[in-house]
Amino acid sequence: MLHKAFVCILTLHLFGWSHAAVVYDTVYINKGLITMVDGSNHDYYSFNATTTFETTNKRIEIGLGDSLYLAIVNTDAVVHGFDVTNTSSYSTNIPATDTVEVPMKFEDLGVYIFYDNANYPNFRYLGLGGMIVVDDFSGTQFYWNIKDHEGDWNDSLDAGWTVDWNDYYPDYFTINGYSNPLINDDPDARIVGSVGETMRIYISNTGEGIHSLHFHGYHLNILYSSKYPNHVGRSKDTFPIESMETLILELVPDKVGEYPVHDHNLVAVSGGNIYPNGMFLTMLIE
Amino acid sequence: MKNWFVVIVLFAGMQLHAQMDEEVLLIARNTGEKVVANGDTIRTMGFAFSLGENPDVPGPTLEFNEGDSVEIDLWNVSQGAPHTIHLHGLDVDQENDGVPHLSFDVPHMEHGYYKFKAPHAGTYLYHCHVVSSIHVQAGMYGLIIIHPPDGSKTTWDGGYPYDISMSLLMSEIDTIWHNDTILLHDHDPDVEVHEVELPVYDPQYYLVNGLSDGQIPEENMALNTSVGAVNYVRLINLGYKGNRVIFPAEFDAEIVASDGRPFPTVENSDTVYIYPGERYGVLGTMPAEGLNSITIEYFDLNTAELEDTQEVPIVTEGYVSTTELATNYELLVKPNPFENSFSIEADLKEKSEIEIVLLDLRGNIIDVIQKPKKMVGSVSIEYTNPTLASGVYLIQMRVNDEVRLNRKIIKN
Repeated sequence: MLHKAFVCILTLHLFGWSHAAVVYDTVYINKGLITMVDGSNHDYYSFNATTTFETTNKRIEIGLGDSLYLAIVNTDAVVHGFDVTNTSSYSTNIPATDTVEVPMKFEDLGVYIFYDNANYPNFRYLGLGGMIVVDDFSGTQFYWNIKDHEGDWNDSLDAGWTVDWNDYYPDYFTINGYSNPLINDDPDARIVGSVGETMRIYISNTGEGIHSLHFHGYHLNILYSSKYPNHVGRSKDTFPIESMETLILELVPDKVGEYPVHDHNLVAVSGGNIYPNGMFLTMLIE
Repeated sequence: MKNWFVVIVLFAGMQLHAQMDEEVLLIARNTGEKVVANGDTIRTMGFAFSLGENPDVPGPTLEFNEGDSVEIDLWNVSQGAPHTIHLHGLDVDQENDGVPHLSFDVPHMEHGYYKFKAPHAGTYLYHCHVVSSIHVQAGMYGLIIIHPPDGSKTTWDGGYPYDISMSLLMSEIDTIWHNDTILLHDHDPDVEVHEVELPVYDPQYYLVNGLSDGQIPEENMALNTSVGAVNYVRLINLGYKGNRVIFPAEFDAEIVASDGRPFPTVENSDTVYIYPGERYGVLGTMPAEGLNSITIEYFDLNTAELEDTQEVPIVTEGYVSTTELATNYELLVKPNPFENSFSIEADLKEKSEIEIVLLDLRGNIIDVIQKPKKMVGSVSIEYTNPTLASGVYLIQMRVNDEVRLNRKIIKN
């Protein structure tokens, strides 16, 4: 489950900095197509681990206090941007076919979104938004990067046309770039665990809309909220998450079973007139 | 031998049946009719207690006490797609969770039985989970309220006492989704993923407890309260929009719970944001007689644009001591707010055993002001406590061991 994606870690043992590490990593800005449940293809971008396009953005996991040196390789023919939410500004531009390395440091538990801030929000809307997870937790972890899409808008925006965001009405909804039932094949997304096991779910909303994730079967505790720190400690079954907000939830199941988790905006559990699609997956507790 | 086996099985079944504290029959129908605010009648689907009843939107509210063993008998009397009951937030086991491909569905003219033990006191929902995008919009939902084990007017066992409660269930209606072509969709119960027509959701009616606009005053929907009464307002969103609920500043709203669980820390806020599937519990008190309102805004989840506003009146008449609960007992506390001392004046028209206690807002007893004592007529009690921390407290009068009056007081 742990995909610590680093090239090199230098552990610092001096002066009590025994746990801080220096992490070097690379992401590639790639352009491709996202395929929706009805077979339609739409222009899409993604931060990937290699020059090969994948709809799922690369995820970066580091520990508390770690330094991150992230190289961003722009494989595209236009300028892209880079920034990270909830941090001091790491904003930079990456010229076409160029590479920029951004040094960052993360002291606190959290999920931070790295995203393309060029021509905002267009490139971020077109898929360029991933998560940096900062946590020392060694238990079972799951990751949901949720997003809404109005398919035709992807093509329009990528063609350079303008859109009126006040008319935005998404018709597809994804988790890590996939919808029900395919999302259940993603072991990083589908919760599989045991009764009494402590699990953490790291969630980012890199879409435009607000989503309201409802868990069947269990209440979960909010461990972290990027926008509402006062929500930490609440036990709930439904978790709203705004655009560019992140959450960390803790699940300790008290019974076995297979239960859905889904957006309770019930328009978002569909896609292309398919139900249940969109933001819908199941948990399996054994 | 075989006969004995049958007798034992029947006996065991009767025992199981007898263990149920609450049994509810809900009839699922797809022949409902609803009059919307402009006077038009639209077609709905919904739940009712009897065949002769129009399935209203929302469906009937179900109330239980924490710890009750409950069985809901869902009888589907509607041709077309099957139906289920999802017990939203009750954390029931998989079999009783109401998701068709993970538990069971209930076809036309069949019964399905949902069993659960009522968990934490709080606010929950039930709704059909068959093509839920359509069936919930069609009207197949309602409220479940779980009271504390003793059924008292308390937010939860050991929680906050209150005098008056009201539930505000927000949702919307897009009449296009109520056309037969949408409601009576094809459905193959043997597949998990269905192809259905889902029009762009663009509601015309924004509902509170099924009513909107002029229907709210026509049906006299209001929070009817008294000065000093502790009100507990349950907020629920089962629509596909966001809600921003704004209480009057003088209501001094305190958000104490969400999704059937107490908050670890009370949040003081006049504004409550509530999203699809969420529930909140809000305490508040009106300090003076008059007419106010709770404002409910409906905004789009994709654009954050405000789409509609509904107003639910707050009618504050008389003082808590003159409400029905307290016809024979009056209780005045003055001054309020106070510094170190206040006096309590009670007018007791009947000879009763009276106990007066000072509580914090979590319901913990801070001090006993008057030990249980038979009293009648005008009574005046002076109370001084210089060590009491600044904050909000309750004076609670118990008559013959029953909570009869709560007065909110403020220590400067």
